[in-house]
Amino acid sequence: MIQRLLPFLSLAVLFVALALASPHFLTSTNLSSVARQTAVINIMGLGMTIIIVANGIDLSVGSILAMSGLLGTMAMEQGLPVPVGIGVGVLTGLFWGSFNGFLVTRLGIAPFIVTLGSLGIIRGLTLIISNGLPVHKIPASFSFLGEGNLLGVPFVLWLLMACAVLMHFVLEHTRLGRYAFAIGSNQEAAIYAGIPVAFHTTAVYAIGGMLTGLAGMIEASRLMTGQPTAGQGYELQAIAAVVIGGGSLHGGEGSVVGTLIGAFIMGLLSNGSDLLGVSPYLQQAIIGAVIILAVAVDELRKRRLA
Amino acid sequence: MLLELQGIRKRFAGVTALAEGSLGVRAGEVHLLLGENGAGKSTLMKIAAGMLERDGGRMLWQGREVFLKRPWEAAVMGVAMVHQESLLAPHLSVAENLFLGREPRQLLGWVNRRHMRESASRLIEEHRFPLQADWRVGRLTPAGKQLVEICRAILHGSSLLIFDEPTSSLSGAESEEVFRIVRALRSRGVAVIYITHRLEELRSIGDRVTILRDGRTVHSGPLGELSTGQIIHHMVGREVSAVYQRKPLERGKELLRVEDLGRKPLLSGIGFALHAGEIVGLAGLVGAGRTELCRALFGVDRIDSGRIYVDGKQVQIHSPRKAVELGLALVSEDRQRTGLAMRLPVSSNITLANLQAVSRGGVIRPAAEDEAAGVLSTKLRIRAASPRQPAGRLSGGNQQKVVIARWLFRDARIFFFDEPTRGIDVASKAEVFELMDELARSGAAILMVSSEIPELLQVADRILVMRQGRLTGELPPTAGPEEVLRLAALETGSQS
Repeated sequence: MIQRLLPFLSLAVLFVALALASPHFLTSTNLSSVARQTAVINIMGLGMTIIIVANGIDLSVGSILAMSGLLGTMAMEQGLPVPVGIGVGVLTGLFWGSFNGFLVTRLGIAPFIVTLGSLGIIRGLTLIISNGLPVHKIPASFSFLGEGNLLGVPFVLWLLMACAVLMHFVLEHTRLGRYAFAIGSNQEAAIYAGIPVAFHTTAVYAIGGMLTGLAGMIEASRLMTGQPTAGQGYELQAIAAVVIGGGSLHGGEGSVVGTLIGAFIMGLLSNGSDLLGVSPYLQQAIIGAVIILAVAVDELRKRRLA
Repeated sequence: MLLELQGIRKRFAGVTALAEGSLGVRAGEVHLLLGENGAGKSTLMKIAAGMLERDGGRMLWQGREVFLKRPWEAAVMGVAMVHQESLLAPHLSVAENLFLGREPRQLLGWVNRRHMRESASRLIEEHRFPLQADWRVGRLTPAGKQLVEICRAILHGSSLLIFDEPTSSLSGAESEEVFRIVRALRSRGVAVIYITHRLEELRSIGDRVTILRDGRTVHSGPLGELSTGQIIHHMVGREVSAVYQRKPLERGKELLRVEDLGRKPLLSGIGFALHAGEIVGLAGLVGAGRTELCRALFGVDRIDSGRIYVDGKQVQIHSPRKAVELGLALVSEDRQRTGLAMRLPVSSNITLANLQAVSRGGVIRPAAEDEAAGVLSTKLRIRAASPRQPAGRLSGGNQQKVVIARWLFRDARIFFFDEPTRGIDVASKAEVFELMDELARSGAAILMVSSEIPELLQVADRILVMRQGRLTGELPPTAGPEEVLRLAALETGSQS
């Protein structure tokens, strides 16, 4: 039991330690900045959670994030209303997620390879569409998505909580979620049980893509830019969040709460390092070590249970 | 004594697997290790083979106490184990698997492949195994993999060989081959510990016997002194009839008809019908195409020719999903690979094929699901700590019941049972037969594939025999095992 709570305890310990170590940590400015910074990875991580539960992986989410942000802001630049622009971004993510899911299920190619390929394709297309130049002419009201407050709390935090509750519900209480676990635990057995495996696998990637599209709009809103080079390396952070939170790359395991904790642990580590003046180079190494440590502890727990 | 185990204890995550496991084996004897699933046989043998460390008790090798931490330490000592679940490298060839970790090396560590393949071929030929040295292990049937494991143990010339249910997936002729090999090993002074569930094969092979129950050794001694009834009594701790005999039913209407079904390269010209209320046996040697037939009918593999009728209507079964919709159910021979989602709870595994029934608008109703799982667990006497327990933690017999429960919940009417008793103990076996009988009584049609001919004769109303991808005949349950075997094994001159 104590080991099950370990990720949560680590997060709590980290939080208290930072509060003690730095007077600047426990301020509303700093905390909302952490929330804003981690929201993007968090929301991508939610999508990655269901993909990893279904024994998939999506390496192309960084590129999807960039194209979604770009097309969404370009729509606004053309004079379309802000909500429509956000919709364009989300649909862009949905499209590429479905594209990945389609290739994985119809061609039977390993998801690692399919999404490694689409990582390049989508990034390349994004750069071609934008000519490599960022989009700047965006309505000022768009900044509310990433920087606004609602009832004194960052709007993205509300958004994140809504997405998390929804994803938790999907994973734990719907047929789609159950099928994702079944496919991830044993795809062959899922096929033999008569589950429409291809359809649900595609749906899982589509959902992941959609959330990535939303994350792309948040990123664009925070920067007030449609940046074609945005999101590079984010796929690894999203995967790391899932894995720190107890998700297994063998599929069949993972939870929304775990992923949130994973993303916040990484967010706090990076924020704390900033506050304490730790070099950003060392930060990367620390986060890397935490990933390995988290997975090692989790493996140990499972082995003891086995 | 070559190997002596005294009062071995082992616990896993707070559960006692072995409380007091004792066994002594001499050179040149075949020592049978018996017990129900979960009695601790495999755990005891894994400790002997260095795959697990004991928590307590003594282990003596040639009179000296030993502590094994790794399988290779046991191998160096002279202990080899043939596993129930295959531990082979699927992407390597038969020869490479045989020599795995002990490749014949030349200068600079080069592996001598030619030498390896030749020695492997010699060994395979010598023992007349239906294998080829350059076949890829991943393509082999479970039986084929088992044979590779046996080959490997022989090749390494150990002084104690542990066979963990070597014949559970083998056909009669192949079992005889295994017995022949075991006897040959014994006459060369090798000690053999032999775990089996097949009571009928004991006498033809064993010298002495040790019986485990609930993690304790309850009997150890010469086999000759024990009657089969006494053995069963020791194993289960109560009187059980060893022989199940089904009372046949009147057959109902035709549920499934297959005409001229073919699938290259193996299956051709297969035609038969299944009626409500009947259990039809499907006999044949390993490789005869029985599993392939089940897979083709269930839509896993596409058929090249032929017609399938369900309830008199012609149907196209191009996927398992379609098969399930039509009321077909496949209880496959490989629970690990195609049966259960091992990491998911028992309850999820039970409802998996019919989640619609416990959900509304895509949302699962937990109360409905728990109730469904609970009712079926009770009905099928699934022994799980709770419905939330991962299916992978259950014993083989209980896992099998979970798969059956899934299809009951789906209201399937046409069942294919592919080796339903493989790797499960005597008591569970009887329970599985009773379940099949109950299914038939409630109007289901059952096709039962089994390599154990006596089992087919007990359970089936009639027996279809397959050989080399074709049906070669149909026999009544009053037929003798020899007749079945003759149809299954004999070459006929006209065959191409």
